[in-house]
Amino acid sequence: MAELTVENLHLTYGTNQILKGVSLTLNQGEVVSLLGPSGSGKTTLLRAVAGLEAPHQGSIKLRDRTIFDGAAGLDVPAEARNLGLVFQSYALWPHKTVFDNVAFGLKLRKVPADEIATRVKKALGELSLGHLAERFPHQLSGGQQQRVAIARALVYNPPVILMDEPLSNLDAKLREEARAWLRDLIVTMKLSALVVTHDQSESMAMSDRILLLNNGVIEQQGTPQQMYAEPQTLFTADFMGSNNRLAGQVSELQGDAALLTGEGWQLRGRAKPSAKMGAAGTGLIRLERVRVADGPGDNRVQPELKTSMFLGDKWEHVFNLGATMLRAHGPRALSPGKHWVELPREDFWIF
Amino acid sequence: MSAVSAALGGGGSRGASSLLTWRALTILTTAVAVLGPLSLIVYQSFLTAPFFDARKTAGFGAYAFVFADEDFWKALRNSVIIAGGMTLIAVPLGAILAFVMERTDLPFKRWFEPLILVPSFVSPMVLSFGFVVSAGPVGFYTVWAQDLFGVAPWGLYSIAAMTVIAGLTHVPNVYVYASAALKSLGSDVEEAARSAGASPFRVAISVSLPLILPSMLFAAVLVFFLGFELFGLPLVLGDPEGILVLSTYLYKLTNKLGTPSYHLMAAVAVCIVAITFPLVLLQRKLLQGARKYATIKGKAGRMRELPLGKWTGLALAILGLYLFVTVIVPLSGIALRAFVTNWGFGVNLSEAFTLDSFRFVFQEPTHTRAIWNTILIGTVGGALTVACYTAIGFATHRRDDGWSRFVDYLVLVPRAIPGLLAGLAFLWVFLFVPFLQPLRTTIFSMWIAYTVVWLAYGMRLISSSLMQVAPELEEAARSVGASRGTISRKITLPLIRPGLIASWLLVFMIFEREYSTGVYLLAPGTEVIGAQLVSLWQGGAIDIVAALSLINIVLVGAGLAVALRLGVKLRD
Repeated sequence: MAELTVENLHLTYGTNQILKGVSLTLNQGEVVSLLGPSGSGKTTLLRAVAGLEAPHQGSIKLRDRTIFDGAAGLDVPAEARNLGLVFQSYALWPHKTVFDNVAFGLKLRKVPADEIATRVKKALGELSLGHLAERFPHQLSGGQQQRVAIARALVYNPPVILMDEPLSNLDAKLREEARAWLRDLIVTMKLSALVVTHDQSESMAMSDRILLLNNGVIEQQGTPQQMYAEPQTLFTADFMGSNNRLAGQVSELQGDAALLTGEGWQLRGRAKPSAKMGAAGTGLIRLERVRVADGPGDNRVQPELKTSMFLGDKWEHVFNLGATMLRAHGPRALSPGKHWVELPREDFWIF
Repeated sequence: MSAVSAALGGGGSRGASSLLTWRALTILTTAVAVLGPLSLIVYQSFLTAPFFDARKTAGFGAYAFVFADEDFWKALRNSVIIAGGMTLIAVPLGAILAFVMERTDLPFKRWFEPLILVPSFVSPMVLSFGFVVSAGPVGFYTVWAQDLFGVAPWGLYSIAAMTVIAGLTHVPNVYVYASAALKSLGSDVEEAARSAGASPFRVAISVSLPLILPSMLFAAVLVFFLGFELFGLPLVLGDPEGILVLSTYLYKLTNKLGTPSYHLMAAVAVCIVAITFPLVLLQRKLLQGARKYATIKGKAGRMRELPLGKWTGLALAILGLYLFVTVIVPLSGIALRAFVTNWGFGVNLSEAFTLDSFRFVFQEPTHTRAIWNTILIGTVGGALTVACYTAIGFATHRRDDGWSRFVDYLVLVPRAIPGLLAGLAFLWVFLFVPFLQPLRTTIFSMWIAYTVVWLAYGMRLISSSLMQVAPELEEAARSVGASRGTISRKITLPLIRPGLIASWLLVFMIFEREYSTGVYLLAPGTEVIGAQLVSLWQGGAIDIVAALSLINIVLVGAGLAVALRLGVKLRD
């Protein structure tokens, strides 16, 4: 059952098109993240769902209740949409205590005072904030503020919870813990969540499905595994991981096998739909798939080692293949000079 | 090795000490300019005769006389009523206008904002005069209303009318603070309330209003103490019925005894400062309280404007009525009055048309000098004033020590001294200090008084420019080896240049508008339009007052036009 359905949404600021026909569905109990570089329209899309931006075309539905329909001129105001929204800045009301911040949504829904007290206490308890109820927001740490913001958005049981970069205001170390905690919270509370993020590893760790936005349209969507292992476009492939990119020319193309020729090297790989025989092409391979080999072999090149960096759990080697930089991971330091490096055919994508 | 470090150390400390003297000199000069005149007033108030009188002795005689005078208590009562009443009018109206302008989809907003601020740029003397010629017993609008409806149900010469007009003309003071507070209030907290289910009205009541309350309180205190500084309005509107407020009581004291009663004036002046200075300190405290609500800001959200829908008409009506009463009525009255020979019942506008008032103004040397001096003090004087303020700004910029705190308080002092008193105090300084006497009849005496009176206002402009310079830019210069002085000249000063030009324009407009500071300093050679108007009004030369007022409005308007053209923010 789709909790949220967005169809063909268009939104412009002046002459600037921000969303150019975006559609998505969010199913019950699912976490979907909106991923994309800055300016791709992901936050605008979230805010349009919340009712804080005004699209001019398309429709938004919560189950079977239409909350926006450009053609029918229907635009339910933000306060009547009954959605939970967590802001990037948390937007806690500085003049209200933690308790009052969380209770506000229930007060507006005319919930009796004693029930408000129990429900707020329960929500705060679930987020381990019980002891902070009487504090003011400025007396809390960043992580605590974030949890108050989440409690505030959850307490009135909205069908969908929207989160705008929920982790970006946390310290790097805290962020990784918080992302596991947040994923666990959403799953155990059986929430349906739409989460905006610009960090691909965060989106893969947290969500069931990823929608990658680029320039106002959805570039590709799918499960984290699909997005990472089977990108359909160069943009998706490039955005989803750490990569080597090699520019060359497609000199052979048969089925999904192709040969890319560059300056002083030839590599075979899997052709993606955009690859055209005889045209310029881009080869792309994830960093972790490149292997340093001990001699010549299939799909191997022999670049010059430029530098090696120790990353703790591994080494990162930087090679010069002609004018192109080629990076690879390895378990130990390498001696200076030329080395054989393998780019396995099945992992080398040609666009 | 040690020789090198000694040489380096010596060089460093020499640089620091020369800078220290420069800084100390700036701060001391400011202190003398601010505290000198004030202490002269206090000193004078404890004498039994003017300070130049040989028979003077120390004592409380002046206070005893003033406190025994029934008129003083009446004036004090009137001041309190007017100040309180105008606060009650200006604060809600200013807040409503700010909310409508900042948060709703009212049409033509861009055009309304400068208009709302107009009353704060036109001299109160000119505005009051405008109300008299428009809505006085035989004003244009009064006569028209009589002709059209048979009645004109308003009277101008009462405490109530003065309170209402003072309230309306001080709406911009509240508006600027309320709208700045709404601007700086991140839209995210309001959006959070909306997505939690609050209607726009509920958002305003539960979130926006409590968060801008500190700023509103600040503005309320500001308007209240400006109420004690009112001079032009009660002079023009209170005089016909003999209604006095503190400042006009002070002004009329001279005539009361027939002799220069400086000691009595000083005593009244001290009483006024005793009321305003605590209010200024309270304001400062409130401002610090207002910063408590600073929150983490998200991305600068493009806030979706609140649709007014069926309320658009009402909002436009409130705004339109406000602008009509406060801007159009007085200014149109002056513009008309300047071009007619006389006006009253049965006078035909086209028959009474004349340019004689302007001809007279441009033939009379005192008037042409007043116009010339007014332009000079705004342009050249304004530039020098901004230079002085900038020097003071640099003396405290990014330094948190005793000197800086001293300057912080020093700058507040002129705020508590109404222009009329400051002018009086400077008059005494120029009479008292022998080597300053030759400057008495030059425009310099006027300029220094203006500069001190507007110190607090100007310093706010300068320091807001200075604060916008990111500290890293200065620290970066320091780390590549620039001294403090070099940083100020080569890094900070060029960066704040646009801010300085904006400040110059604002100071120009303020100086064109100023009138009360010049009242006592007015002498052959120091004429400025503002003070000249007060003296002409006393003499009853209505035609000339109208013509000079119009010229004054045109000067301010020119400044305003340039400011808008350059995109200068009319408020900080």
